[in-house]
Amino acid sequence: MSTLPPPPPSDPAPVEPPRLYAVLDIGATAVRMEIAEIGSDGAIRTVETLRQSVHLGKDTFTLGRIQQSTIEDCVNILRGYRRVMKEYGVEEDRHIRAVATSSVREAANRDSFLDRIYIATKINIDIIEETEETRLTYLAVQDILTREPLLQKGDVLVVEVGGGDTELLHMHDGFVSFSNTYRLGALRMRETLESRGSSNQQMVDLFLRHIKLTVDQIKRNVPLQKASTLVAVSGDARFAAAEISSTWDHHNMVRIPTKAFAAFARQIGPLSIDDLVRDHHLSYQEAETLGPSLLAYAELAKAFRIQNIIVPKSSLRQGLLREVAIGNAWTPEFTEQVWHSALALGHKYAFDERHGTQVADLSVRLYHELQPEHLLPPRYELILRIAALLHEIGLFINNRSHHKHSMYAILNSDLFGMSRHDMLIIALIARYHRRAMPQPYHEGYATLDRDDRMVVAKLSAILRVADALDRNHMQQVREISYTRRPGQFTIYVHDVEDLFLERVALKEKGRLFDDVYGMRVSLETGTPTEGWLSDV
Amino acid sequence: MSKSKTPPVYNNRDLSWVDFNRRVLEEALDPSLPPLERLKFLAITASNFDEFFMVRVGALEFLLDQGRNEPDLSGLTVHDQLLAISSRAHEMVDTLYTCFLNQVKPALRDAGIRRLYTNDLTPQVYDYLEQVFDHDLYPILSPIALHPDEPFPSIPGLAINLLVRLKPANDAKPSRKTPFRYAVVPIPRKLGRFITVPIDEGHNYCLTEDVVAEFVERLFPGEPIAETVPFRITRNADMSVREDAAGDLLHRMKEVLDARKQSDCVRLEIAATAGKTSAEKLTSLLQVRPDAIYPISGPIDLSAYFGLARMTGLDHLRDKPWPPQQSPDVPANTSLFDIISRKDLLLHHPYESFDPVVRLVEEAADDPNVLAIKQILYRTSENSPIIAALARAANREKHVTAIVELKARFDEARNIGWAKELERSGVQVIYGIKGLKTHAKICVIVRREGGGIRRYVHFGTGNYNENTARLYTDISYLTCNDDYGADATAFFNMITGFSQPIRFRKLEAAPIGLKDRLLELIESERMRKREGQDARIIARLNSLVHPDIINALYRASQAGVKIHLNIRGICCLRPGVPGLSENIEVVSIVDRFLEHSRILYFHQGGEPQVFISSADWMPRNLERRVELLIPVDDDACRNRLIHILETIFRDTLKARRQKPDGSYERIKPSRNAPPLRSQEAFYQAAREAHQLAQRNDKAVFVPERPSLVT
Repeated sequence: MSTLPPPPPSDPAPVEPPRLYAVLDIGATAVRMEIAEIGSDGAIRTVETLRQSVHLGKDTFTLGRIQQSTIEDCVNILRGYRRVMKEYGVEEDRHIRAVATSSVREAANRDSFLDRIYIATKINIDIIEETEETRLTYLAVQDILTREPLLQKGDVLVVEVGGGDTELLHMHDGFVSFSNTYRLGALRMRETLESRGSSNQQMVDLFLRHIKLTVDQIKRNVPLQKASTLVAVSGDARFAAAEISSTWDHHNMVRIPTKAFAAFARQIGPLSIDDLVRDHHLSYQEAETLGPSLLAYAELAKAFRIQNIIVPKSSLRQGLLREVAIGNAWTPEFTEQVWHSALALGHKYAFDERHGTQVADLSVRLYHELQPEHLLPPRYELILRIAALLHEIGLFINNRSHHKHSMYAILNSDLFGMSRHDMLIIALIARYHRRAMPQPYHEGYATLDRDDRMVVAKLSAILRVADALDRNHMQQVREISYTRRPGQFTIYVHDVEDLFLERVALKEKGRLFDDVYGMRVSLETGTPTEGWLSDV
Repeated sequence: MSKSKTPPVYNNRDLSWVDFNRRVLEEALDPSLPPLERLKFLAITASNFDEFFMVRVGALEFLLDQGRNEPDLSGLTVHDQLLAISSRAHEMVDTLYTCFLNQVKPALRDAGIRRLYTNDLTPQVYDYLEQVFDHDLYPILSPIALHPDEPFPSIPGLAINLLVRLKPANDAKPSRKTPFRYAVVPIPRKLGRFITVPIDEGHNYCLTEDVVAEFVERLFPGEPIAETVPFRITRNADMSVREDAAGDLLHRMKEVLDARKQSDCVRLEIAATAGKTSAEKLTSLLQVRPDAIYPISGPIDLSAYFGLARMTGLDHLRDKPWPPQQSPDVPANTSLFDIISRKDLLLHHPYESFDPVVRLVEEAADDPNVLAIKQILYRTSENSPIIAALARAANREKHVTAIVELKARFDEARNIGWAKELERSGVQVIYGIKGLKTHAKICVIVRREGGGIRRYVHFGTGNYNENTARLYTDISYLTCNDDYGADATAFFNMITGFSQPIRFRKLEAAPIGLKDRLLELIESERMRKREGQDARIIARLNSLVHPDIINALYRASQAGVKIHLNIRGICCLRPGVPGLSENIEVVSIVDRFLEHSRILYFHQGGEPQVFISSADWMPRNLERRVELLIPVDDDACRNRLIHILETIFRDTLKARRQKPDGSYERIKPSRNAPPLRSQEAFYQAAREAHQLAQRNDKAVFVPERPSLVT
């Protein structure tokens, strides 16, 4: 028909239609779900957003456990969400990711909670650790961090004041230099500090005093006089941003002067819950966290003399979606962040950075070469790289048994983005870089399942060889190539005069490699003989 | 400016409504209309009054019973209001029957439509009616004796009854010892009001109550009939559902329907011919206040004449019809998904057909890529094709959610019926939200396409009822813009209880943020005016009652904002009052179609924002109902809405303007502009657009393809 415009030019045949996923976030005050499409290019488009208030935080932070009635509330909410998922054909486990944070993590009856939810709704909820939470927070704001020039220079604090905890990332020149989780939660504050009869202003004073304690602690962890920007991630921050800046709906983020933010926090802080519900159309649960949360952001901004607060549109759920989008692999940006964080840890233990880096580099090359043998997924490359970088930090404590010192130094540190489990694997690989081979009765190793034990063995075997190649800590080995013969793996090292020292080291360390890979590893100078492979 | 401010004045809500009904009655008085059109307006006036008495007068009586006689905003107490309503209603009933008896009825008689009286029948006709009585009436009549010491029997409201006064048997004289006996004979509704009499010439009918009266002595053997008096009572129907009570909603609705049969009598209509004895007997038994008695000099309940006005074959006694036209934007053989995915679609009903909306739901039911359909059904037709499509979609494993509003006044019985039917087909039926009527008109279709999920949304100002869509002026807006889609699904998640309200991208919903948004928009015009910008508000609504909105409009007028209101019905705002509202104009159009759309325009300093809405500006809409305010940002659609608003304000033939004293007068055509009847102009424009499109269509050869619609 003549009145219709021509159809829009069709895109050059999309490779694959986008897939639908559901991510759920079981938080202290609300159960939220997002249904989103993830394109074959990783682009994320949110299709639906749902939220329902719950008393999880209230229960856990005051009673230490989740009440039966609250569990049933969650069951009902999740049954409804299941229905919405079903409408979009999102039914398989691999298309659903549900996580719970502090309010479930700290509940005494967390396991029965998870079981009940699973039995009633077939939704498998993962309780995520604090370090994982900071990683998801990072993923959630990664877009903004990498796109906004203001955030790539100087010191930036990324903060999520949640119901139970506060996640904090300190970014320096675009890299995470510190991350931690603090037990400062908007709901936790209200539940633990609130007492009958105190006026609203008295409550605000109590909140401020409590916030000050955590801010002082953060100041000790992040010894800065001044940071340039605070990135405030949370529903409360988004609410404040929408109220302060009416036009922000159309952008991914909004910048608000700290002054305006603090003024709004002071205005909201003393309001009663009922006033907030009536005047701002909030649910009771939202109203409970708003005041303390905004005060916490404002205090942090003040403490670090921050001029501007940036509020991104994204949330933990975007972090989850990004994670789904990139699959199990870690993005180059994320890998870079972890690497920076590991370097910072190494410096704390005054390690030999050049040796660490050299061994890490050699380990990665061997890891790639041996891919057909170890068959590990890509993420273990980073695990090995970090273990290699940090394998000798135990020297800081004592030369004797320094591999064991390395292990517990790593175990007792936080690396941005690495889960406790990741850290255990890293610590064990570092531990086995010399001396005893892994034994089932060894501390830590004993707790691993068979697959993880194999990972530790495979990777520490590589680390031992790489370490042997830099025996003299001189970083002489630059170029290497390899040949394989049945039962024999030969590494050719170019541009060196002799390999006497390295061969001795390898003799001492190579046995694990022989056992794990079923090949004797040996070193040669020069290049491999031509025609070698055709003999096989 | 501030010194000359005048304290606000308001029109009383109910008297303003009575004024509206008077404007409807005035249409019936127009001698230039053909007789059946005049009859239709008489029937509408009568039926409007029926509902008004049940609901509004009922509510006022209830307040009075509770001892709450406080004055309203206009300064009238409940008692004052009831008296004023009664005096105006009496006057209007007189006008109504004078018009019917002296003008419409004779005109109909001249055209061959005759009412026959039982005392003036040929023997053949008399025999015929006797047979009808014996075969069809007698078996289902159940007389009820009236006893002086017992409460008045429970007879249904709004139905015709005969009061029968009986002399004592055996010719005894009535005395104190043996008084008259009284009985009531309810005329069962299912008999209909008219009995057509087979005579060769013209259309001849008898009223059912006349025939029953003629043979009524057969019900009382041995007791001579002294008098038969037709009468009708109207009961107080303001039985809001007690949402806090136990039990599920469906059950409670049924209780309301039962309660409606036995509440107080707020109006008694009684044949003017009734003798004093009978009339007094009835009023004392019913305990009716004198001002609630309406002596009727013609057939009681003129709304029954709707049927006659609609009878086929009498087109020469009616206006030339203005049938709905196909929108030129909706080619017959193209899927609506294709059409909407190319551009937003705006339909102006009833000038443009409602079919595309029905077709969209039907296509969705049959389309394998459609995952879900969600729709609110407030008042829909019997045998609704939309309901059939929803049921079919559910049978095809699509996820169908229907929010069925049981609380739609007087449609409850019908609503319960199709709600059950939908549930049986597997539709998830939700009976509204606790404490709120779901009045928004929205349908969203979730479809999986190559590029991902796409949502097609229909927003309307009228109900999903293809019958009323031929009689009410309404707007449909169809789009697949993702912002609307996301808001639409979020809105459904909210009313189905899956999610708490989240911030919408474009929409506003009552009772959450809609009123605040309106006040903001009005206030923003006021601020702009004060800063020296152009400021203007144009609105088309059915009712304006909310004091917050009225006061905001008064403030805006005082600041100099030009405000044009086209309000069909109740308007508590008083325009043109110096120092208060001299910049406000209030116009009301009553014409062939019922003005029903809600369109809002805010000038916004030259970048106008235009909205359509399901909500009138009344407390019940903004605070106790689920309603939507939808910005229409698509340029073409927005410009079309602006054009519609401009046109209705140019109407000089069917528009009346409210004067500063609150009364309405017809607009006098200005010398500069030709007279205009906006409804006719819209119809002509739709027709021309359709014809043009058809001509263009014929200029192109289109290969025949199987239609998607089966």
